[in-house]
Amino acid sequence: MNISEKLAPIRKGLLEFVILKIVAGDKVYVADMLKLLGPTEFATQEGTLYPLLSKLRREELVDYEWQESEAGPPRKYYKLTQKGRTQLSTLNDYWKELNRTLAEFGN
Amino acid sequence: MQTVVTISLNGNSYQLEEPGFNLLRSYLDRAEARLKDSPDRGEVLGDLEQAIGEKCRGMLGPHKTVVSTAEVERIIAEMGPVESADEKAANAAADGTPNAAPAFPASEPRKRLFKIREGAMWGGVCNGLAAYLGLDVTWVRIGLVVLTLFTGITFFIYIAMLIIVPYADTAEDRAAAFGVPFNTEDIINRAKKNFDKTNDHWHREWRRQQRHMSRQFRQMNEQLKQTAANVAPNMNPAARGIMSVFIPIAALIGAVIFVSWIIALISLVTQHSIFGWGLPHGIPLWVGIIGLFVLYAVVSAPFKMVRHGGHHPGWAALSGLVWLGCTLLLFWAAYYFFPGFHELVDQLMWAANLTISTISETIV
Repeated sequence: MNISEKLAPIRKGLLEFVILKIVAGDKVYVADMLKLLGPTEFATQEGTLYPLLSKLRREELVDYEWQESEAGPPRKYYKLTQKGRTQLSTLNDYWKELNRTLAEFGN
Repeated sequence: MQTVVTISLNGNSYQLEEPGFNLLRSYLDRAEARLKDSPDRGEVLGDLEQAIGEKCRGMLGPHKTVVSTAEVERIIAEMGPVESADEKAANAAADGTPNAAPAFPASEPRKRLFKIREGAMWGGVCNGLAAYLGLDVTWVRIGLVVLTLFTGITFFIYIAMLIIVPYADTAEDRAAAFGVPFNTEDIINRAKKNFDKTNDHWHREWRRQQRHMSRQFRQMNEQLKQTAANVAPNMNPAARGIMSVFIPIAALIGAVIFVSWIIALISLVTQHSIFGWGLPHGIPLWVGIIGLFVLYAVVSAPFKMVRHGGHHPGWAALSGLVWLGCTLLLFWAAYYFFPGFHELVDQLMWAANLTISTISETIV
């Protein structure tokens, strides 16, 4: 088992955090998120992303609005809610905490 | 040539090649099953449909209106397997449960009776039955022939099945016919296997023979029509007038011959005799049946020629109608005035009923 495989559950758990970070910027469309994630360790696919976004919306961390597109039907553009913003800053703190802990144990 | 299926994805229509459509449907079915317990099921499915629709649109252009099977495969690969984002699935992943473990509940595949065209001799009934019973098709065929020789009713059950049992036209049907689970990989694997089988030399030879025979038969028919057509325009008006009388008569005689042939066939199969004449000793039943087919073709040919001799769509339609009317009338008369035929029809209906109820029991 290589490192990438071993850490797959960690990446999977962190995907929600990453999505919140992306959505915190400008309003984004799923295809743009996929493009953004594509070259990173968090590369994912629609089959994973849509269920995750729906779950986040149910938990009221993100919301979307419909926007007309130049070609085809209107698209869902996602943005962070107030609750999502609070959650994101909590996660950011927690992540820093984790990093500190890891650093304390030495290299 | 490829069958094209038009589908609607989130309100827009797209044309897909049939195998591609089957792949897509199985992908969405699986997605639906995966999201069975998710409260976001409807929403996620709508999102997936829209994403697939956009990808399809990307594949099309001003001179390309159909999404090919290979493109559908690519779209599905891009979409990736649908994973429920709910706690249970996430926890399972965190516990180190292999990601690839099929969360998709492998529902017990249910077998259904179908006719299967692939590798069929004729209608695919034996083939479907073999798949249903899990036997080799050769044994089923031998069994059918032997049973037909002993009890004529088997033949009628076969005919009834030929009419009633549906063809396994989709990949899902074919999976149900063999009672195997249905998913995308299976379809691809089975398609590959079928391809290998078609490559089999014997199979190819058999196909070639069949094509050759049907071509010859068509040519013969064409010649017959040509001869008739050549005669027609050279006739003077008086002869045409006589023709117009002869066409309905020819139609009537044709109908009589047809009905007699059917009755003869039935009585040969069930009573081993035609209108009281038994088969000569030592001649097996199947020779008699083939002989009857040949006899019908020979006897009915001249009347067919006269009927097509008018070489005019109106006449053809009229003679067709007269033929149909006479046939129905004769069947009706035979049903009422020949007790033997009456019984046979009742038996046939009984066999058909039995088959229907067996099939509906199988389905329910």
